[in-house]
Amino acid sequence: MSTERTVAIGSGATHLGGEDMVLNIGPQHPATHGVLRLRITLDGEQISEVEPIIGYMHRGAEKLFEVRDYRQIIVLANRHDWLSAFANELGVVLAVERMTGIEPPVRAVWARMLLAELNRVLNHLMFLGSYPIELGAITPIFYAFRERETLQAVMEEVSGGRMHYMFNRVGGLKEDLPLGWLDRVRRAVEDVRKGTRETEKLIRDNEIFHARTRGIGVLSRENAAAYGVSGPIARASGLDFDLRRDEPYLAYDQVDVPVVTRTEGDCFARFECLVDQVYASLDLAAVCADRLAALPAGPINVRTPKILKAPAGHTYAWTENPLGINGYYLVSRGERTPWRMKLRSASFNNVQVIPELMRGALLADMIAILGSMFFVVGDIDK
Amino acid sequence: MKGLLKGLAVTLRTMTRRSVTRQYPEVQPDLPPRSRGVIGLLAENCTSCMLCARECPDWCIYIESHKETLPAAVEGGRERSRNVLDRFAIDFSLCMYCGICIEACPFDALFWSPEFEYAEHRIGSLTHEMDLLGEWMKTVPPPPEIDPGKPG
Repeated sequence: MSTERTVAIGSGATHLGGEDMVLNIGPQHPATHGVLRLRITLDGEQISEVEPIIGYMHRGAEKLFEVRDYRQIIVLANRHDWLSAFANELGVVLAVERMTGIEPPVRAVWARMLLAELNRVLNHLMFLGSYPIELGAITPIFYAFRERETLQAVMEEVSGGRMHYMFNRVGGLKEDLPLGWLDRVRRAVEDVRKGTRETEKLIRDNEIFHARTRGIGVLSRENAAAYGVSGPIARASGLDFDLRRDEPYLAYDQVDVPVVTRTEGDCFARFECLVDQVYASLDLAAVCADRLAALPAGPINVRTPKILKAPAGHTYAWTENPLGINGYYLVSRGERTPWRMKLRSASFNNVQVIPELMRGALLADMIAILGSMFFVVGDIDK
Repeated sequence: MKGLLKGLAVTLRTMTRRSVTRQYPEVQPDLPPRSRGVIGLLAENCTSCMLCARECPDWCIYIESHKETLPAAVEGGRERSRNVLDRFAIDFSLCMYCGICIEACPFDALFWSPEFEYAEHRIGSLTHEMDLLGEWMKTVPPPPEIDPGKPG
């Protein structure tokens, strides 16, 4: 942990004090993964105030939802958080299915769970690679991307996409699984488990990494709850909350969902939560693949009307996305498009708490804290 | 120091293994048949019904057609009219590769192809007209076999 020392002898520091410096980080800073801007007020090297300025990437997703039918919405929902495309699609179709009373077949439910877990691993691997880069360790990202490639190969085989899967439909999945795909998934899961262990060995016990992250940017449990922080970041602060266990959707109630938590709440705890979550998700994916293989033959989707209209009313569907809670509040007036579809995205709530974490920290730790918040700018700005 | 050495051991072990990277332009990637690279058009099947153009989330499909009247096939029969496709173009600079047009087509005139090497210097050249879309049909692979679940 860094210690602060005031050197004031002969430098006239006491006379020069009083002028704060305003420093803009971003909107085009490489550590912000996009266009997030932080307006930082510095007192010497200490951060006295931080204001995250968002909206540089606002695409009006919610407004666009209102003029798209329920299949076209999936295209857009897919894109606000580009690292968890499958989980985003899932929220939309779950909401619409609840409104219309369409029940997806059991094979679709397990296949969705399997794909959602694989998507979670893909997302976490991205951050496991990019976070060390921000702290100066370049190697882990190559390892993480090798593993991502293994998973993307199976995702592409089933859905045709590497990022924007477009595989969910109201009432199930777009197409059935290719022959032998489940075996390839199981093999990929094994490979990735081995590969992640290597990536972990590279960085987890690294003393330099510890020095940069331990005790830095501590988020208290109270603050996490007060700001609506969710996902691995909240769990690193001891907020033991995971929708897959606490309010199961799909068939999560039929499997044992291990929830990875830490109590320290610092950057290192957040990183550890992510690493351990990868293994937990890989185990879950393997369980889903086994269950799918054992399920009797049946359809993967149900026939839905050509023009799908959700009956008038409203519903709120939330899912445990890789980065936290993702909610869709769907209000329908019986049209083929929603009247309103409010999006509660994980990253938006998670970056709110940044000022609490950075206030009083040293500027040198700013990137370490920012990187450990694991956000996607598209998910903030929507 | 122990943690650093542990990391270096991984690096050392990886050094002895074959690399996983592929020399792309020389070695082509193996893409699965479902891969969404480009859209091919089988113009014979198209009835210019405009369903794809209407379902497209960002309206990147352009269709122009005219009606043609066919004389009666038998004496005293009725004249038939049919649509003739004049223009079918997809603007791949707008396309979001969602595949809704392919799903929406009731006549099986549109297909996905894994072909992806069509980068252009000018954005306008990304609007592929009928002839080019027809060319892509040659690269459309047969669909993969399906795993319908455990029999019985």
